[in-house]
Amino acid sequence: MSEIATIKVTDPVIEVENLDFYYSGSKALHGINLGFPRKHVTALIGPSGCGKSTLLRCFNRMNDLIDNIDVQGHVLLNGNDIYTSSTDVIELRRRVGMVFQKSNPFPKSIYENVIFGLRIAGVKNKSVLDETVERSLKGAALWEEVKDRLNESALSLSGGQMQRLCIARAIAVNPEIILMDEPCSALDPKSTARVEELIGELRENYTIIIVTHNMQQAGRVSDYTAFLYEGFLVEFGLTEKMFMKPRKKQTEDYITGRFG
Amino acid sequence: MNERFRIRAKRNDRIAKWVITLGGMLVIFSVVFILLLITNTTLPLFQKPSADIFAKFLLPKEPTQEVLAIGVDEYLETGFFLDREGVFNFFENQQGLATDQHSSSPPAENAELASVESVGRLQYSLLWDDGTLTLEQVNFRPFFDEENNNRRSIVHSVTRKAVFPSSNEDLPIMSMGRVSSEGRLTRVDHLSAERLMVTQTVISETLLGDQEEEHFSEVLELPGQDAIKALALNNQGTELYAGTEAGYLLRWSLSEAGGAKLLDHIQAFTDGREITALTLVFGDYSLAVGDTQGQVSTWFPVRTEKNSARKILKRIHTLSKHDTAVIDIQPSLRNKSVLSLGGDGFLHLDHMTSERHLLDLGNHVPLFQYAFSTRGDGLIALTEESRAIIWKLDNPHPEVSWKTLFGKVWYEGYDEPAYVWQSSSANDDFEPKLSLTPLIFGTLKGTFYAMVFAVPLALFGAIYTSQFCRPRLREIIKPTVEIMAAIPTVIIGFLAALWLAPLIEESLGAVFLSIVFVPVGLMLAIIIWQFIRRNDPLKKLERGYEFLAIAPVLVLSIAIATTLGPMAEDLLFAGDLKQWLFEEAGTRYDPRNCIVIAFAMGFAVIPIIFTIAEDSLSNVPPALKAASLACGASRWQTVWRVILPSASPGIFAGTMIGFGRAVGETMIVLMATGNTAIMDLSIFNGMRPLSSNIAVEIPEAPHGGTLYRTLFLSAVILFLMTFVVNTVAEVIRQRLRKKYGRF
Repeated sequence: MSEIATIKVTDPVIEVENLDFYYSGSKALHGINLGFPRKHVTALIGPSGCGKSTLLRCFNRMNDLIDNIDVQGHVLLNGNDIYTSSTDVIELRRRVGMVFQKSNPFPKSIYENVIFGLRIAGVKNKSVLDETVERSLKGAALWEEVKDRLNESALSLSGGQMQRLCIARAIAVNPEIILMDEPCSALDPKSTARVEELIGELRENYTIIIVTHNMQQAGRVSDYTAFLYEGFLVEFGLTEKMFMKPRKKQTEDYITGRFG
Repeated sequence: MNERFRIRAKRNDRIAKWVITLGGMLVIFSVVFILLLITNTTLPLFQKPSADIFAKFLLPKEPTQEVLAIGVDEYLETGFFLDREGVFNFFENQQGLATDQHSSSPPAENAELASVESVGRLQYSLLWDDGTLTLEQVNFRPFFDEENNNRRSIVHSVTRKAVFPSSNEDLPIMSMGRVSSEGRLTRVDHLSAERLMVTQTVISETLLGDQEEEHFSEVLELPGQDAIKALALNNQGTELYAGTEAGYLLRWSLSEAGGAKLLDHIQAFTDGREITALTLVFGDYSLAVGDTQGQVSTWFPVRTEKNSARKILKRIHTLSKHDTAVIDIQPSLRNKSVLSLGGDGFLHLDHMTSERHLLDLGNHVPLFQYAFSTRGDGLIALTEESRAIIWKLDNPHPEVSWKTLFGKVWYEGYDEPAYVWQSSSANDDFEPKLSLTPLIFGTLKGTFYAMVFAVPLALFGAIYTSQFCRPRLREIIKPTVEIMAAIPTVIIGFLAALWLAPLIEESLGAVFLSIVFVPVGLMLAIIIWQFIRRNDPLKKLERGYEFLAIAPVLVLSIAIATTLGPMAEDLLFAGDLKQWLFEEAGTRYDPRNCIVIAFAMGFAVIPIIFTIAEDSLSNVPPALKAASLACGASRWQTVWRVILPSASPGIFAGTMIGFGRAVGETMIVLMATGNTAIMDLSIFNGMRPLSSNIAVEIPEAPHGGTLYRTLFLSAVILFLMTFVVNTVAEVIRQRLRKKYGRF
């Protein structure tokens, strides 16, 4: 990979510096340098296996769960390296929330699902909890649908509702950043539209980094787009510009659907 | 698609379906069949006793003949009656034809009988009108006539066992004579309303080898104004009982010749009702008492206070009630049943231990003479119109009732009602104690201690293995634990009994110190860990190799406990914990105890619980774990709040299957519990569970007997216990699954 077409971001919330990532010795990310703009939506795109999910999971250290990994380089959250031995991973994950590809509510009530993050932080004040539930569900545009059945099992919701519940769960702890790993890939078009609309609303308060396979979606929801290919960052820039006029040939091929 | 191939596939499908259905049905069928088979064996225990009239005929006697006693042989083939002249008149029981007579040579010319008392097994003590008392024995034995095609017949004879010469001027109202096993003769005469006379002859051998007879005689007088209405004397002639008109029961000890001692003089009933009949129940320990109100009750001496030597008569069992006063009572010679005759001429058959009223026997004409057959399965009775009736009894399990099986029963020789299992003894007159309660208790106790030991270990082990340790390590641990399940339980039981039990007994102090030291050691290690964990090599250890740090701590804690054990025993328990337990805490230390059982049975149960729990914990969707961690939960919070609830159906099922296994476990408990059927929750003694009780006793239980059927009943209970546990477990598991399921 010769050179990288990228833009400089001022005051990035996450700054990635020369990040190399290894799974059991095989290199999955090659020297990534990237800054994520605050309170914007950034999409990570690229063909399967390009390392976009791996990169996303580096930001809340979810990769730690996997055996035999090695991380080199730096990931700075507001200027502080999150890969030092003194990093409090729990605190980090509190600040960097995550929504997964497949909705994964806990087998508990809707209410308990939303306040899970507060419960484990030891919050017991009922009014704080109630308030959080309402705020988060409203934030996730789910309040109107579930406000009368908060004590029902979360598993009784539909797929789209579950995914929005997971978003509500993520925003309940007031993170700075929300990582979304293909949040709509398991949803029907109507639910997808609903979640996309929600992402649009969330960008006012949160920095969102979203991994997606869907070019149209990236185009619709994101302000910035980073294109990864075989573990290398190929191009990063404003979504509009990149989709209209990619600077790299590979990007153009991918966006126009010539491979991927 | 190839047409033939498709037909073949369809056919295979059909065959497979049938084979599977058949297999499933066979399994269900065999389980039900086994249960039915076992239950069927127990059913006769609860069958109502019945009596069939075996023969009924007019007694072959002259109108002038008076019947003083009646009897029948054990095959119910030959009967006899005793008349006023002291002649035993034998007859066969088909049509009641007289066969022959046997005169029991009167002591004086033309002497007639004054009274007759039946003494146990076809023995009669006859009082002649010249005051002589003789003891006569009627014998029956089968005879096979070789000349006549081996035809079987019953031959009979009458022999005189003893003669008691007249001891008084006046003819007593009634007299009783006994010969003890040492040859001592005891004669008790009922002289008048309040006077009894005891005459004893002791035959001893002098140093020179001559026989020497010593005669003792004394008169016993009733205290106060009262009249003796009934008397009973045991077979050895050592205990004399009397019942009075004013409702008093008296008991004398005659064991010291010439020195009768009044042991009891108590009012039997608060209403002062008259005592009308007394007899000793088979075994000569309990006294059956009949009164004017028609009540039959049994009594025996009980300690007045704990540890006191003095015993007084106490009413133990209250049996059936006649409509009118009880005239006479006769004991069965096989078990603890008594047959009582009411004033209305009806017979009641009751069993003492079970307090079951077994049968009412009677005729439209009142009965007045009656006798059990020696085998206890038949009886002969005579109506006032001289009609003899022979009943054959179908009464195989009179001692079994719900109360004797599960309730507290006051057994002979006990100071209070108790739950006891003691199925057999050396003597025939033993009262079987068949309470299943101590066995059920034993099963639950053993299971409880085993679960207390096994469940935490297995579950924490499963949580650690599935959630915290390295996958490579897990691949070693899991099969290893599963191999534990394959160890034959007889080997575990063997090791527990012969190696572990002595080891624990030897180092009891160390065992208890370990219980304290291991958790304390672990806590200390964890605190120290908090300070040193920031080092990079240790950090790596923290992720799945913690056991490398914990193992030495455990070994060290146990080592310290072992070293300090004897010292602690010296300091705190005066050198010997077992002794101290016995003296201070009043607990007997049994080398085969629940500590051993907890370890041994726990060892057998752990792999089952571990494997199932580990599987269900590992099968919690990784997405849930990821969601929890991504929310900022620590590993432990994730396990506690997300993994455990989701895996709870499996964990629960594993625990219950382990429980079921422990309930049914036989070999370990058989070898390592000591098998004493006590009801004591103490961890320092053993128990006797249902399962090992069956294994221990079934080889000695006579086929079809009460013990045999009771053991089958305990098998049914065991079956039902596991069935109930498993059903409840399944229902709860389904509910949990509905609640936490979906994935």
